[in-house]
Amino acid sequence: MNTGIAERGWSLPEAASAPSEDYRSALRRRLFAADLAVVLCWASTAGAVALYLLSGGVSQIHSKADAVTALGIIAGLAGTNLILIMLLLAARIPWLDRAVGQDVAIGWHRRLGKPVLYLILAHAALLTLGYAATDGLDVVGETAAFLSNRDMILAYLALALLLAVVVTSLVAVRRKFPYEAWHLIHLLSYAAVLLALPHELSYGGVLAAGTVERIYWIALYLLAYGAAAWYRFAKPLLLSLRHDFRVVSVERLAPDVISIHLRGRELGRLGIAGGQYATWRFWSARNWWHSHPLSFSAMPHGDLLRITVRGAGSGTAGLAGLRRGTRVWFEGPYGLFSRHARSAPNLALVGAGIGVTPLRALLEDSRHSGGETALLVRASDESQLYLWEELHTLCEWHGGTAFADVGPRSRATSSWLSADAVRRGVSLQSVFPRILHSDLYICGPGPWAELVAQEAKALGLEDHQIHLERFDS
Amino acid sequence: MRTRAVLGGVFSSAAILIGAWSLSGAPKAVHVAAAATTTGTTTPGSGTASSGTSGSAGSGSTGGASPAPSSTASAGKASGTYTGSVVSTQYGNVQVQVTLSQGKITDVTALQLTDREGRSVQISNYAAPILRQEVLTAQSASVDTVSGATYTSEGYLTSLQAALDQAG
Repeated sequence: MNTGIAERGWSLPEAASAPSEDYRSALRRRLFAADLAVVLCWASTAGAVALYLLSGGVSQIHSKADAVTALGIIAGLAGTNLILIMLLLAARIPWLDRAVGQDVAIGWHRRLGKPVLYLILAHAALLTLGYAATDGLDVVGETAAFLSNRDMILAYLALALLLAVVVTSLVAVRRKFPYEAWHLIHLLSYAAVLLALPHELSYGGVLAAGTVERIYWIALYLLAYGAAAWYRFAKPLLLSLRHDFRVVSVERLAPDVISIHLRGRELGRLGIAGGQYATWRFWSARNWWHSHPLSFSAMPHGDLLRITVRGAGSGTAGLAGLRRGTRVWFEGPYGLFSRHARSAPNLALVGAGIGVTPLRALLEDSRHSGGETALLVRASDESQLYLWEELHTLCEWHGGTAFADVGPRSRATSSWLSADAVRRGVSLQSVFPRILHSDLYICGPGPWAELVAQEAKALGLEDHQIHLERFDS
Repeated sequence: MRTRAVLGGVFSSAAILIGAWSLSGAPKAVHVAAAATTTGTTTPGSGTASSGTSGSAGSGSTGGASPAPSSTASAGKASGTYTGSVVSTQYGNVQVQVTLSQGKITDVTALQLTDREGRSVQISNYAAPILRQEVLTAQSASVDTVSGATYTSEGYLTSLQAALDQAG
């Protein structure tokens, strides 16, 4: 039944004759774009508050109640600006993916979650207090007054949704939900932010008709929702229809590991870089409701594509039964775990278990650059050395070596190596003698990958030399 | 490089905020302009209510109930523009101008609105269009006050009644 790439024999990369890619200028451009993104986050938030100051917001403060109200307005403006930035960070904008990578963008998105909630809660609390003091009402009376307004009812609803979204995203709470349930709740944030819009435009008059602020805010809303609608929903759908991926075969590499071979149209137009991933949805009765973020485990060959998956999650186990011809939708390709992130002449790859799949594609997609290439694979036993033959052949083709560190983990010390390797004094430096002039690509379970990254940083590698791709084990 | 990003962010934000703070030192001009814009927007098609008039709100030039009918009554039904009295509230003066056509209220323009405290401008900007619409629908000054904008509403409706009384 297998007519996959492995049986056909995959071809080695063409020997490229352009060794001196200018890593430096590419790196400088990328870091500039990344820093610019951070500066824009800060500056736009300050800008939102500045527009309020410019319209005379503060000069109208004549009492304590006015001051409380003004603070509440500022908290709301800053919070909403940051929420819209969060939507943009999660919108899969290609520019951002190329600059910092989707995972870093989502990391920023996460870090903003709690501060934003605090700002919005402060906004609600301060304005209730400020308005109550001005109107000579108590908090309950003022809340009742607010609730007599239709736009304010929507705003309270938005606040409740926002609370639900942030609380379910707290690490401790999130573990208790299946991913799909969490994701559905999380998508409610689009509704929450939209429900808050009417009261922003009508109530209080800060964004009254004809003001610059109103134009700024409507533009920001359009930008955030437009980007999300296009890059998260419309574009993936259109790409899925254009490339029309179908399952060709499922190949079993180990009892719990399978490669899925896909056939699609016009693969060249996808611009896949080795090491990237896509989020896949298989349209079979068992799998359609589940989406899987999976790395490409080989570069496209002709109209064929391969992804390799270990049956770790509840949903991935069902993939083994996929039938030939099953329709496949995808979002991607995403990620900066590729040759686009190169910043140094040598290539050092470290993978654990199924984490070798993006490294396998990255090796195939890397050109001879005059530097050294080496790979270290970590596995607790031989059966976990997935795709080993391919990795070995590719490393040799690059003139490098593939090492395997097989054996149980060291119990005494917290090391990312096997107990045996620790005893023999193996380290990043001993495996990769030129590590300081290398790009280090690490792919494996989160805590393990962190240990590798820590050792690299201790050796003196710069942040931009270390490329991490984590997955939950 | 991350340091550069954070420093850039902090300094640009600080510059924007400090700049805005110091520029907002001349708030009155901005404020009057904003009020004028709002008034102008809420009363489209009212030729007599130029933004200039409302912009000079508080100058006292129209103090008192000085009628300025631009046309005379015909067949007993009043037509023209009538300016209501200035009603002072604890949040500032309120004064409106009404336009009648054959005894029918065709437009109400706010010449002055409560503006004494921070929220008053916001409240009056929010309440004025609602009051205007209610008056145009009811064709009288006997309409409900807008909740949360009691002072503005009472001043608005009192001044309106004064203007209507002039028209007879």
